[in-house]
Amino acid sequence: MKNKRMNGYLLAGLILTGLLVALMLLGKFWTPYSPTEMNGAAKLQPPSWAHLFGTDNFGRDIFSRVMRGGGTTLTIAVLTIAIGAVLGTLIGAATGYFGGAVDDALMRLNDALTAFPSILLALLIISLVGPGKTYNVVIALGIVFIPSFARVMRTQFASQRNVNYITSARLMGAGSLRIMILHMLPNTLRTLLPALTIGFNNAVLAEASMSFLGIGVTPPDASLGYMLSEAQGMLVKAPWYAISTGAMIALLVFGVGLIGEGLQKLEREVD
Amino acid sequence: MKYTIRRIWMLVVTMLIVSFMTFLAFELVSGDPAQTMLGTEATPEQLAALRHELGLDQPFFARYFRWLGGFFTGDLGSSYIYRQGVWGLIAPKLSLTLLLALISFILITVISIPLGVWSYRFVGGPFDWLRTTFNQLCMAVPPFFVGILLCWIFGIILHLFTPGDFPALRSDPGGALRHLLFASICLCIPRIAMTVRMMRSTVIGEMEKAYVRTAISRGNDRRQVLTRHVLKNSLTSTVTFLGQTMAELVGGSIVVEQVFGIPGLGRFLVSSISNRDYPVVQAIVVLLAFWVVLAGTIADLINQRVDPRLRLGGGAK
Amino acid sequence: MLEIKDLHVQFNSRDHEAVSGVTLTIHDGEILGLVGESGSGKSVTAMSIAGLLPRKQCKLSGDVLLDGQDLLHAQRSELRRLHGRKIGVVFQEPMSSMDPLMRVGTQIGETLRIHQPDMPKEERHRLVYEAMRDVELPNPEETYRKYPHELSGGQQQRAMIAAAIVSRPSLLLLDEPTTALDVTIQAQILELLKKLNRETGISMLFISHNLNVVRKLCKRVAVMQKGKLVETGTTEDVFFRPQHPYTQKLIESIPTRHGKEVR
Repeated sequence: MKNKRMNGYLLAGLILTGLLVALMLLGKFWTPYSPTEMNGAAKLQPPSWAHLFGTDNFGRDIFSRVMRGGGTTLTIAVLTIAIGAVLGTLIGAATGYFGGAVDDALMRLNDALTAFPSILLALLIISLVGPGKTYNVVIALGIVFIPSFARVMRTQFASQRNVNYITSARLMGAGSLRIMILHMLPNTLRTLLPALTIGFNNAVLAEASMSFLGIGVTPPDASLGYMLSEAQGMLVKAPWYAISTGAMIALLVFGVGLIGEGLQKLEREVD
Repeated sequence: MKYTIRRIWMLVVTMLIVSFMTFLAFELVSGDPAQTMLGTEATPEQLAALRHELGLDQPFFARYFRWLGGFFTGDLGSSYIYRQGVWGLIAPKLSLTLLLALISFILITVISIPLGVWSYRFVGGPFDWLRTTFNQLCMAVPPFFVGILLCWIFGIILHLFTPGDFPALRSDPGGALRHLLFASICLCIPRIAMTVRMMRSTVIGEMEKAYVRTAISRGNDRRQVLTRHVLKNSLTSTVTFLGQTMAELVGGSIVVEQVFGIPGLGRFLVSSISNRDYPVVQAIVVLLAFWVVLAGTIADLINQRVDPRLRLGGGAK
Repeated sequence: MLEIKDLHVQFNSRDHEAVSGVTLTIHDGEILGLVGESGSGKSVTAMSIAGLLPRKQCKLSGDVLLDGQDLLHAQRSELRRLHGRKIGVVFQEPMSSMDPLMRVGTQIGETLRIHQPDMPKEERHRLVYEAMRDVELPNPEETYRKYPHELSGGQQQRAMIAAAIVSRPSLLLLDEPTTALDVTIQAQILELLKKLNRETGISMLFISHNLNVVRKLCKRVAVMQKGKLVETGTTEDVFFRPQHPYTQKLIESIPTRHGKEVR
């Protein structure tokens, strides 16, 4: 992993994602207008300097709403991926490193879980834990992302199990936990990082889908997906609402996708 | 033949696990359906009678197998909300969802395979970054957002269809198909981008293999190397990918049906989840999962026809 | 029949020339051995004769003449007409060098299909069977319909040779054709090549890092080191009276049962 060079994709992705994330994080503390306050005098205004993305039919400033809603989307996606990646890595590391019957059983379970499209699995879990609560969305999506991370990490750990330096570390008396964390985990990063970018994007899209369907985030919280379903209702009167919200989701996913593309390009050049 | 039987046996086993997991999960959370149906005012006698009628007084496994058998007999219990047989509610919606998935699948296959091969020509060229960026952009656009835009442009401005007002398939098949076609377009865009990307990297990978050098040493030109050797060798990964695409289409259709107001299975699933109508949710989940597993099985069987190495009972590697 | 004059190959990604100033002649009906360690430039030499080097990624200079026709600076389309028809190539790994999804017989007949597209199917089949008999593949009718993975390593290499000779080219380039095979199979393939050379008079360039193998097959040997040709001569001369210190070292390093036998 030496001699890392920046490439165009990575740079463009980092800049775009950085700007959007900064805007969304800022939205958690400050927005130009209140994202929820209704203003009867400024209903359905098209984009202008006063209201960059226009206003909706309650007179709410859409730019402010996008900033705040983006923050919610971002939080959910990050938490989801954190759950999926951490638990997935733990399971993958344990089964890949030790192998055996537990490995077999968990992988069978994994196979069965792949029979569900991810959104269907998320819907199934959410219908079990109860729809309409933000933390339930995080739990449902987090569980959905565990199997894919577990599978990727299991392959990574299993492939290192019998490599020479691992065997010699073991012979020198290093404990399993020490070997896994110090010796094996760093080598999995080149696979884990692109997987994280793909997972993040899937999480954003999945959250948006669920909230759009009305079984994800519900008022008073608002995520980009929920806002898009709101915007669909006023499509005729305020098309800018749907466009700015949808574009925000697309740009976020696009930015992170570019980072992933850049990371993969780096790997190819290193090899 | 042996392989086919083994693969179908795997399908059966997977579906048994999937259905059991689903049944068990809902058994754990759904509480007492009789109580749900009759409300809090019900007398213990009424509850007991309904439980007996629904077969809830039977042991767990008896109920599981009865429910499982229902997928063959059509008796999947009755909806808490509609008080009707689940199968009767689902059947007309199932065909719409499958039709939507099939139209999208055909579009994806027909468009992305030639496009994937064509995009190989740009590898290493000066415009490759442009193609990659455009591809990433297409993958980034959420289908329901494209759906909303399509509704706005083609529905509201151009009046080519009426969003939210789906014509009945029987009385107006042309209108229904047009409606479905617009819905499938937004399902397709990100999947086509992904398939093209996958095809491209598969073809690049195959082009680096030793047999390509052999083919060139025999006098094949670039096009012949591609058509005679590389394409066939890229086919197995493409078929597997298209099988997974079928799965994602089912997931995507859940959302897209909502956008376009198509009264399909996905939309029914969402409303049933909101209503906590568990018998309906259970049945739809298992049916959609079956569709996905079936697509994977068919993909594997096609691959085994294409690649003789898979026939040796080596499994689908 | 093949003349190489002052061949230079420089890959864009490397500092040193992969081949620097090789001059070599292969006479009609001769088997010339080209030996050297890995990285000595022997395979690159063969690949540049065959026109299989990626032209965008390297610089080539010098002359390679096959029966007077320039191969190095030929148009792509011209080269394609020679590939398989006048030059046959056999590579090191028979398994990965064959298209895994194409029947063995179809692969053997591929050069016929490319260069003589008007040839009737029956005639093509006849020639394929003939080539299969030439390389002593068992049960030609059955083997024709098999896939590469259904053949043993030795049979795969025989099939590769059959595919290379089916159009009756005048030159056969063999790039480490026996390296991936067991010793007994290796010996059989060498016998086969000898027989083909004797019966059809086809010229061969046999590349190997294994001096013993080269000694069994070739009358004349060329030795390469670091991209340069260090010694050329009859097998006898090179093995018993090596001039260059590098050749001497190479010969000393041959493992034998009786240390003195080689000298």
